This record gives sequence, structure tokens and C-alpha cells, in this order.
Amino acid sequence: MASSSLKRREQPMSRDGDQLIITPLGAGNEVGRSCVYMSFRGKTILFDCGIHPAYSGMAALPYFDEIDPSTIDVLLITHFHLDHAASLPYFLEKTTFKGRVFMTHATKAIYKLLLTDYVKVSKVSVEDMLFDEQDINKSMDRIEVIDFHQTVEVNGIKFWCYTAGHVLGAAMFMVDIAGVRILYTGDYSREEDRHLKAAELPQFSPDICIIESTSGVQIHQARHIREKRFTDVIHSTVAQGGRVLIPAFALGRAQELLLILDEYWANHPDLHNIPIYYASPLAKKCMAVYQTYILSMNDRIRNQFANSNPFVFKHISPLNSIDDFRDVGPSVVMATPGGLQSGLSRQLFDIWCSDKKNSCIIPGYMVEGTLAKTIINEPKEVTLMNGLTAPLNMQVHYISFSAHADYAQTSTFLKELMPPNIILVHGEANEMMRLKQKLFTEFPDGNTKIMTPKNCESVEMYFNSEKMAKTIGRLAEKTPDVGDTVSGILVKKGFTYQIMAPDDLHVFSQLSTATVTQRITIPFAGAFGVIKHRLEKIFESVESSTDEETGLPALKVHERVTVKQESEKHISLQWSSDPISDMVSDSIVALVLNISREVPKIVVEEEDVVKSEEENGKKVEKVIYALLVSLFGDVKQGENGKLVISVDGNVAQLDKESGDVESEHEGLKERVRLAFQRIQSAVKPIPLSAS
Amino acid sequence: MGTSVQVTPLCGVYNENPLSYLVSIDGFNFLLDCGWNDLFDTSLLEPLSRVASSIDAVLLSHPDTLHLGALPYAMKQLGLSAPVYATEPVHRLGLLTMYDQYLSRKQVSDFDLFTLDDIDNAFQNVIRLTYSQNYHLSGKGEGIVIAPHVAGHMLGGSIWKITKDGEDVIYAVDYNHRKERHLNGTVLQSFVRPAVLITDAYHALYTSQTARQQRDKEFLDTISKHLEVGGNVLLPVDTAGRVLELLLILEQHWSQRAFSFPIYFLTYVSSSTIDYVKSFLEWMSDSISKSFETSRDNAFLLRHVTLLINKTDLDNAPPGPKVVLASMGSLEAGFARDIFVEWANNPRNLVLFTETGQFGTLARMLQSAPPPKFVKVTMSKRVPLAGEELIAYEEEQNRLKREEALRVSLVKEEEIKASHGPDDTSSEPMIIDTKTNHDVVGSHGPAYKDIFIDGFVPPSSSLAPMFPFYDNTSVWDDFGEVINPDDYVIKDEDMDRGAMLNGDDVDGRLDEAAASLMLDTRPSKVISNELIVTVSCSLVKMDYEGRSDGRSIKSMIAHVSPLKLVLVHAIAEATEHLRQHCLNNICPHVYAPQIEETVDVTSDLCAYKVQLSEKLMSNVIFKKLGDSEVAWVDSEVGKTESDMRSLLPMPSAASPHKPVLVGDLKIADFKQFLSSKGVQVEFAGGGALRCGEYVTLRKVGPTGQKGGASGPQQILIEGPLCEDYYKIRDYLYSQFYLL
Repeated sequence: MASSSLKRREQPMSRDGDQLIITPLGAGNEVGRSCVYMSFRGKTILFDCGIHPAYSGMAALPYFDEIDPSTIDVLLITHFHLDHAASLPYFLEKTTFKGRVFMTHATKAIYKLLLTDYVKVSKVSVEDMLFDEQDINKSMDRIEVIDFHQTVEVNGIKFWCYTAGHVLGAAMFMVDIAGVRILYTGDYSREEDRHLKAAELPQFSPDICIIESTSGVQIHQARHIREKRFTDVIHSTVAQGGRVLIPAFALGRAQELLLILDEYWANHPDLHNIPIYYASPLAKKCMAVYQTYILSMNDRIRNQFANSNPFVFKHISPLNSIDDFRDVGPSVVMATPGGLQSGLSRQLFDIWCSDKKNSCIIPGYMVEGTLAKTIINEPKEVTLMNGLTAPLNMQVHYISFSAHADYAQTSTFLKELMPPNIILVHGEANEMMRLKQKLFTEFPDGNTKIMTPKNCESVEMYFNSEKMAKTIGRLAEKTPDVGDTVSGILVKKGFTYQIMAPDDLHVFSQLSTATVTQRITIPFAGAFGVIKHRLEKIFESVESSTDEETGLPALKVHERVTVKQESEKHISLQWSSDPISDMVSDSIVALVLNISREVPKIVVEEEDVVKSEEENGKKVEKVIYALLVSLFGDVKQGENGKLVISVDGNVAQLDKESGDVESEHEGLKERVRLAFQRIQSAVKPIPLSAS
Repeated sequence: MGTSVQVTPLCGVYNENPLSYLVSIDGFNFLLDCGWNDLFDTSLLEPLSRVASSIDAVLLSHPDTLHLGALPYAMKQLGLSAPVYATEPVHRLGLLTMYDQYLSRKQVSDFDLFTLDDIDNAFQNVIRLTYSQNYHLSGKGEGIVIAPHVAGHMLGGSIWKITKDGEDVIYAVDYNHRKERHLNGTVLQSFVRPAVLITDAYHALYTSQTARQQRDKEFLDTISKHLEVGGNVLLPVDTAGRVLELLLILEQHWSQRAFSFPIYFLTYVSSSTIDYVKSFLEWMSDSISKSFETSRDNAFLLRHVTLLINKTDLDNAPPGPKVVLASMGSLEAGFARDIFVEWANNPRNLVLFTETGQFGTLARMLQSAPPPKFVKVTMSKRVPLAGEELIAYEEEQNRLKREEALRVSLVKEEEIKASHGPDDTSSEPMIIDTKTNHDVVGSHGPAYKDIFIDGFVPPSSSLAPMFPFYDNTSVWDDFGEVINPDDYVIKDEDMDRGAMLNGDDVDGRLDEAAASLMLDTRPSKVISNELIVTVSCSLVKMDYEGRSDGRSIKSMIAHVSPLKLVLVHAIAEATEHLRQHCLNNICPHVYAPQIEETVDVTSDLCAYKVQLSEKLMSNVIFKKLGDSEVAWVDSEVGKTESDMRSLLPMPSAASPHKPVLVGDLKIADFKQFLSSKGVQVEFAGGGALRCGEYVTLRKVGPTGQKGGASGPQQILIEGPLCEDYYKIRDYLYSQFYLL
């Protein structure tokens, strides 16, 4: 049901306008392929556009077929990790999406490098390729950049971002649609580390907070303890002549680990003969980005940067491939990919896994279904890449440096923000449930709703935001009291409303009003007096005057249309356009043409006045009836002249004389009343002066 | 009613003096810019000194002296203590500009208006914002939102939008609508109908702006012409503003043409400047950030420009033609002045000005037409004391210390003494006249400040207060003053020592020269002499100011069409010209106040808020028109539960209203539309449009209005009775919405 309601967007939204829908298309009760759909007041936003690292091909994509990509206004990418950004080229180039995409400067710079690398290393068949390098390059042209705290407005959707702390350039997005604020944290961390700032606390409390739950109810060890464990394991392994493998994702946390290692080596001269390798050409390329965007990092690194570049490592050497690696003694190798799926980290793992002197340190969160996740449980045997099995003797340590908020951070963050609605995404189902339970105990007053939608499961909420308008200009010279009427032009821009007098329109908005004056000349050779006579017969108000310049006679009909004798052979009509004046002028034109055609012949038909009035009344009734039928379908003549209108089993009775409507159904009553009012004003004669 | 807004210029109206304006919004006082000129004329700051303590927030727009130069002085001496708001580049480059100013001055005079510490103090509490960040003020300014937006003149340069209760006050000075190599054009035109626009008329009379390509070509041709005949080229530039654009032009051209002539960028802070600029990519033009994103080419990784921070390096550079960009642009101080004096008498050399010099400076004098043949220049130099002077200085110091002790013990007496000496207080002890030959003993330290700033204590032996005076007994020969070369040898040692100490420098960001100057507490003196410099080198001026020209300013203001307009920062003629233009064409409320004249630009707008009831809104059918949607409403006023006014639908059919045609007809667009419909259409004389054979259509009434500010449009359609007439009328109607 939820999915069908997503596609049914073309319908008028007046009733459903206050409904806010949030649907995870990925990362609902899972980690990977982050993608959250949100729609409110006809505006649609997609947060993140990732892939699932454990799957390949189309299976790795979020459930894009649940939505109509062409309806999405804005797509916001929080950071460059594959599970948050990697389906973007596909979404931009292979779907009907035509909205705008935003990410931060650093994210965009790394995004390209990372995805180009991803396309190169992912060993899938050509049919399974979601996109190629060209798609990535094309997508670069469509991505727009947003700076932290910069407010951008697209179609009335306002949004800005805060530092998220997770990796370089990571952002949390705050979206404001018609005063309803939604915070999407993406991956965030409230802990400052060696190079990144901690996530900021937004100064406004959002109405909805869509928050990651990767760490669930875990509580991280203090940073210095983790760092000590990390360095201790490495130190003791290499001291015993073993090798240390650190499978890590190329960018993000790896830089942090390298900073730790470089510093540790610098402080321990006895280790200087043991090499550290970092096997990622990609990371090398990204160094320029890290060096340029030092302003988005914390003060510590900026001060260091003043003296020397902390990202130029003294004890760490790059390693391009396993062929360049001489495995002759103790060493520390950090290699990609982080999940040990394939590539260099897997090759080294296969070689080293059966020696118990060696260690493997898993430094971060591991996605379900990868080898890294499997070996954390320390199985006796593992399957090598060549299909053989080998004993797993090497020590496996899991020391998390993943910059995801832990339970303590999440709960304090939420307590500071106090959002009335919390939606958990980006977490395994079990972890998420535990987090939900625990958060319930933190917010016991029941005012906070916590939701954990699965993929494609919609969360629906209603926000009855009041529409406020500002009446300005001449219309507001006097503040009205209850019962006064206010009439003017209502101008809606984004979600702000203004009411103003037509004359003020050009002052307070970019719009302007216009008057169209029409002048038409008609050949007419007869006497002007004839026209005057004829006009007086038909129109109630005909005023004679003389033109000041030419001295020729002129007539003003209905205070709207001026008829002037231009020359012997022509008369002219001049009026200012509006529907009534146009009609009056049309009838004058018809009249003049008839005079010239029929030669003067005065017809008097005054006796028929009474009769025609009766006929008119009948005609009016007929028209009203016909129009009502066309609107409501089932309309019958009821007793004492009332019309009985039935729609979907609801019955309304309409009194044609007074316009009163009786019905049990409030909505129908209102509609019938309004329809009748409009029909009546359409069929009744035009009042003489409507200005 | 509306928000109360008052504007009081403190400096920089009806002339080209530095900018400083006080804007008070509902009693909250903003200081818009806090500028000073290169001469550091304290009299300019008098109006500021009277209001400094009442200021609640300072907004800075550009990182140059004219926009923020007085900040350290005002913070230190005038009691300015408000938080300062600026973008990150304005903060950082502004700081470097002030360092450069200080170091240039200190090198040649006993500059004591502010110190490096004062600069640091002034800038350390700057609140840094990004472009279009809506910053909500708290406390006294509750409800006010400020946001900087792209100005396009300098890196990080901002136009400020101050919003309260939905009314915008926009402060836009020195903006540039044209896109440049390193900057995007301003976004000023995206603001429409603000309540108040405060803008400058600086370029109102300036019209001839050659196309960018043409200008760049001339610029580079002029430079290479002089280089090829063996001459040197000097570009006097600012520290960290417009110079960035020049560097990029030269850099690009040099790599295209593979020139081997060296380019030097010489300021006291050049290497820090470029280091920081390299990390400001997100503030630059789209093309620069794009090239970084795709190929990681940092545009400010300068391959052809050598960054220098002291002049010895330049003197040691291999001889031969070279291009030197040196600060200050005014030639009043800094390396540019020294180099100018050295190079001016060689006809093969070129001094290329890229902006109009500040009024009353050497640069301005040289830009006058015809250029002067000779200029009188006072050159000063700081030399350490030696021999007898040093002994005399030390004696003086000891004596001062004794006196200080005496003074402390006799505070009361000292007060009486001060009241007895009206001559001292009325004269300006802070201005040091470098025009006359004099020697002044000076050094850093509290004793030094006490002498010149806090209270000048006359020596007990003297009858009248006077500065310590030493007769200058310098000997002159054919080459000028005879100097002792040894005096200069010691200076090199200073540099070395400075370099060594640099590692210990706390923020590590000060350049060596700065560090050496800061750490050099040895007594030194300034020697000055007046030279007559023959100006035989070529003097050329080209416009790289990065400001919109007169025509664009006018069309920009017309597009923004503010309800009220305040003009500042231009000579009287330009101000008056723009004022008249705006009065006639744009808006009826144009103000150009004098210094310390307060104009009240409170909007006389009436407004009240109402709630739009659900019932009313369900019957409103909006029509989309550009960005906005319009509809006619007839409603009755009611009350909501919370006692708000609420609009309800009319109980009975509303009386019909006068129909309104909404839309903006552009004759040219309409012509295209008609021809796309197969109507023969052409322009007839007088702006009329001939449609088909007989029908003509024209706009009447006041023409040339932009943004519809001067009233509704009047369109006249006429023709004989025929089918075409009705057809064209229908097409015309289709361009409007009838409400």
C-alpha cells in the first residue's frame, strides 16, 4: 500500500498536503545502500544514494523502482562512502531523475576519485556494470556544491548542512519545508579525533530526526584506550617477528589510522627498521584533497599544517601491488578493500592467515556478508580465494575506529535536540531494535515517537502547519476587525504568502499588472445619431460628449466603452480590456455592423418584455440544472422546488431560491453551496458597474 | 509598523575615503565595515570614536585596508568591543593585510597606532560565516538574521543581508557582476525589493570597461613589451585582494607562452597568503573548483611566481628583466615604494597600476594626467642604534625608568601636571611626521608606549614639553646621504636570527621578517631623507579593480529596485549623478547622507499578519507565474482560538472586483511568440509592434521602467475590425493571467 501511494503523486494534494512521508529505499533495518525518500507538500527529497557493498550489479542498488525519480526535487549526499554515494552516477544517468544534486566540496572532489577506482576494481561482467567512468564524469557536471551552513533554496525547499565528523567533508542535512524541519544525520560522530571536527549540534530542534544506528547500543571505548590497544597489538606482533594486516577502506578512517601509526613510529625509534606499507594508490591521489580542505578539519591538524604537512608520512611507504612487496620479515600493511572481499588485502590475508605469529586488525564496522565480518567470530578454517580451505591461525582483533556515534553519543545528541519524531536507519535489524528499546527508556514521557521502518516501508506523519499570510501595502493601511472583508491578490512564493492590493503588486513582488487599452475602427458611413439611438435602446447607460480635440461627438457606453466618430466613414471604439468591457464592445460592434448592413429599420419589440423575462427565468433554471448535473451527476427535482443531489450515497438538498444547502455530509454541503454560488453569479445579468 | 532602520555614515561619503557606516536596526547598531586609508589618518576615525562603544556588531565586507583597516585601532583605542562577523577568507586575508601594513610601516617609521598583538586581538574573535549562511543573532539582536553573499570583488568579499521581520537591509559595496578567473560574479541581482539598499556610487560615472579578453591582452602586451627590451615591471598591488587575480593572469600567460622572465610576489606575508589562498578553493569561481574536483589542479599552486618576503632576496635575484608585484598599492609604504624609487629613473622600466590609487597618495599623484616628471619622496629606513647614540639611548631609558618610578609615586601631582599642559593634549602625539628629518628613539616595550601614548612626560630639566631631539648631522654627497654600510650588515643577521626563532613561533604563520621584527627589541631609529625622484619610467594604468561599471551599477540597482536607497562612498559628483538617475528611474526614496548625518529609512510599509484558514485555501486556485503563484481572494476576517486574525471564506458571493491582468509583457518576447504562431510580425517605429497587416501594439506611458517600479504597464492595441485583430488580442491575453 505504501509503495502505491508513493507513485500516486499526480493527484491533487490539497487534502493530503499535510502528510509527510518518509520511506527508506535502502538502509532500512540494514547497513549499506543508504537512500531515504521524503515527501511533504508536493516537495520530494532523496537523502543519499548508495550501494550495498555485499551485493553486486542491480542487486546492490536501493529500491529505486518504488519511486518515480522524475518527481524528486533535490538529492542530498552526506559523504563520499560507497554506501552513501555510489549509486549516484546510475541514478543521474540511467533514470528519469531531473532534480538537483548537492554535496560538499570535499565530498565532490573525493567522490570522483573513489568511484572511478570502484569501477576499475569491481570485477563484474559488463552487463552487470551499473555505470562506467563516462557516467561518473557526466555526473560531475550535474553535482552542485554546498558549503557548511550555507542555506540553499530550491523550489521552496530550504536546506543547509552541518559538520558530521564521520569523514572529511561529511555533512548532516537540515531540510526546512514550510516550517517543518527534518534532520538527516547520515553517518556522524560526536567525537573529535586526530583530524576531524566532531559533529555539530544544530541550533534548531528538528521535527523529525533521521538518524543512523550503526553502533546500536554499543559504547565505544575511550579513544586513547583504543589507540593503545591498536598500537600494542602491532608492537607485540612485529616484536615477535609477525606481520600485521590492517584491511581498511581506502579513504576516511584509513587516514586517521595512518596518522596514529606515523606518530607511534616517530615516538618509538626501535621500530624504525620495520616497514609500514599503505597499499592504496587511490589514497595517494586523495592527499591533495586532504591538503586543500584543511579548513574543514579540526584546529589541531590546522596548527600542525602550519609547520609541516601531517599527511606527508615519514615512516609509511606506499605499495602499489603485491608484486612490489618483498615479504621478508615483520611488517605492517594497511590494504584495501576493508571487507577482505578481493584485492590486495585478500591476497595478503590468504598468504598470512595460517601463521599464528601474524595478526589481522579489523579497524572498523564490517558489513554483513564480507569475509572480514566472518573472521571476527574466529572460525577454525577459512576459504581462500582459490577455493581451498586453510586453517585460520592468525590472531584477529577487532578494534573499532569507525567514526559512527555510539550509544552514549546518540542518546546525548537526541536529548539535546529533543526531536518529537526519531527515525532509525543505517543499522542492522537487531542492533536497531535494541537501540529503539533503550531509547524508549530514555524518553519515557511518550512524546517522542521512535520508528524503524524497513526498506520500502513508509512512515506517515501529519504536520498541520498553519498557513500565515502577511497583508501589506495599501490593503493593510487599516487593520480590519472581525467581520470585515479583505479582498486582494494572494501571492505565494515558496511557502510564504502575501496579500496585497492589485496596485501594490509591482511594489512588493516581481510581478506586475497591466492594462490593455484596445482601439478598434469600424467602417460606418451612416449618421452618428443612429448609433446613439440604437445604443440607448440596448444599454442602460449611454452618455454623450464631444471629443475635446476634434470636436466630434463621442458616446460612453456603460461607463466602459467610448464610441467616437473618427471620420465620415469610420467610427472607433476604445476601451480598457476586461471580460465585461470586451463583451460590451463586441455587442456594440455587432450592432454597428447590423446597422450598416440592414439600412435603418427600427424594430420595437417592447411588448415581449414580460414574456421574455419569464422565458429567461426558465432558461436560467435549465442552465443551473445542466451545470449541476455536469458537476455532480445524480441531480433530481425534489419537492418544493428543491434539487436533490446525491453523491456516493450522501444526499444534499439545494434550495434554488436562497442557495441554502442541507446535507449531513459537511464536505458535500460546502461543495454544492460553492458550486451553486458560482453558477448563479455566472448566469445572472451583469451589474451595471462592477468596479 | 515596519522595522526601524537608521543609517549614519561615519566615514566615506561624498569622497573616496575608507568605508565605515553605522546602521541601526530597531536599536541594534551594526557597524558596516571599519576601514582606514594607507596614510592612517586618525582624524578620519573621529566620528567612529564617538559611537564605537555603542556598536553591537561589526560586519566586514572585503579583506583590504579600506574596509577593515581601522579594526585593530578601534578595538584598542576607541572602545569598540562588539563581535565581528566576516567570511573565513576576509578574516584570514584581512589579518594578513594588516600584518603587511604594520610591518611595512614599522620598517620605515615609528608606527605606534597599533601593534601586531592588537591586530591578533582584533581578529581572534571574528565569527566566521560562509556565503548564504543565515546567522541568527541572539541577545539584544534577537530576531535579526545576517547573511553574507558573494560580492565578487575580492576573495571572500561579501554583500551583507540583514533581515528582520521579513524586511531586508542590504549592504552592497564594491561588488562586481562580472565573473573573473578566481571569483564568481556577485549575486546581488538575486535580491529583489529589499526594504533598504545601501550601496556605493564609486563607479557611477565610470563607463569604459573594455572586454575582458581585450583588456588582458593589452595588459600582457604592455608587460612583455617592456620585458623584451630589458626593462623591469613593477605592479603595486594590495596584500591579499585583487593581487590574486593578477597572479592568475600572469601565471596562465606565462605557462602558455613559456616565458622565462621571473615573476616575484613580494609582500611581508606573501607565502602565508598563497598558502591560505590554496585552501580557499570553495570560495572561488566555479571553474577553479571544478578543475580541482576533476584533476586536483590547485590554481594557486603557482609555478611561475616566486614568493618573496624580504627585499634582500629580490636584490639577490639574478639580474635581468623581471616582473615584481609588491605591496602597497598606494606606494605610501611597503616594498613597492622602495622599488619604485629604485626603478623610476630608468625609461625602460614600467610601473603598471591596476587600480586607482587612494586619494592623496603617491600612486594617485603618479596616475594624474599628465604624469609628473619629478616626485618628491621621503624615504625612511630603520637602523639599529650604535655607538654614542646607543649609549645616549640607554641613558635615556634609565632616566625614563627613574622618572617612571617617580611618576608612580606622585600620581596625584602628575594629574595636576596633565591638567596644566593643555598644549600636550590638544596636539596629536600619535602622529609622527616623517616629512621632516628627525630621529626618534624607539623600541617595543611598555616604556616606549608610555612615552608616546599614555602621557608624554616632559623631562624635569626642560621648560616646555618636547620630544627628545637629535640634530641630524648626515653628510651628503652627489649620491645622496653618506651612510655607513655596517649599519646594514647587522640587519642580515637579524633575518637569520628571525629564521631560527620561527620554529618556536606559536601559530607558525608569521613570516620570518615579521618574526624578526617582532622579536627585535634592540633599540633602533628611523632615518628619513627627502629625495627628488625623476620619473622616466613608463606609467600605465589599467582597470583590474574588479568593480562593476556605471552602467551595470544602474541596471543592477534597477533590477534590485529597493524601496529605499542609500548612496555612499563616491565623490560628490558621482553620488549626485547616481542619485538623480535613481530618483528618475528607480525609486522615489534615494538618500545620500553626509558624515554623521542620520537618515531614517524606516519603511513606511503597513503590514499585519493573518492566518489563512483551511476552508479559504481549499477554494483558492493558484496560477503559476514565474517563481510565484497568484490568486484572488475574497475573505472575511475572523478570529482563531489563539486570538489571531484569520481569513475565512465569504458567507455570500463576493461582489465582483475590478479584473486585474497580471503579467509582464516584453514586446520582444511577444514578437517571437507571435511569429511562432505564424503571425507576420515586425517592429514599426517608436517601439510599436506591427502584427499582421493592420494591427499595431505598443507600450504606452512611462517607458524604460525596470521591474515595473513606476507603475503598471499600459499596452495599447489598435486596428480595424478584422479577424486578425481578435486573434492577436487572444494571443495577447494568453500572456497574462486574469484575476
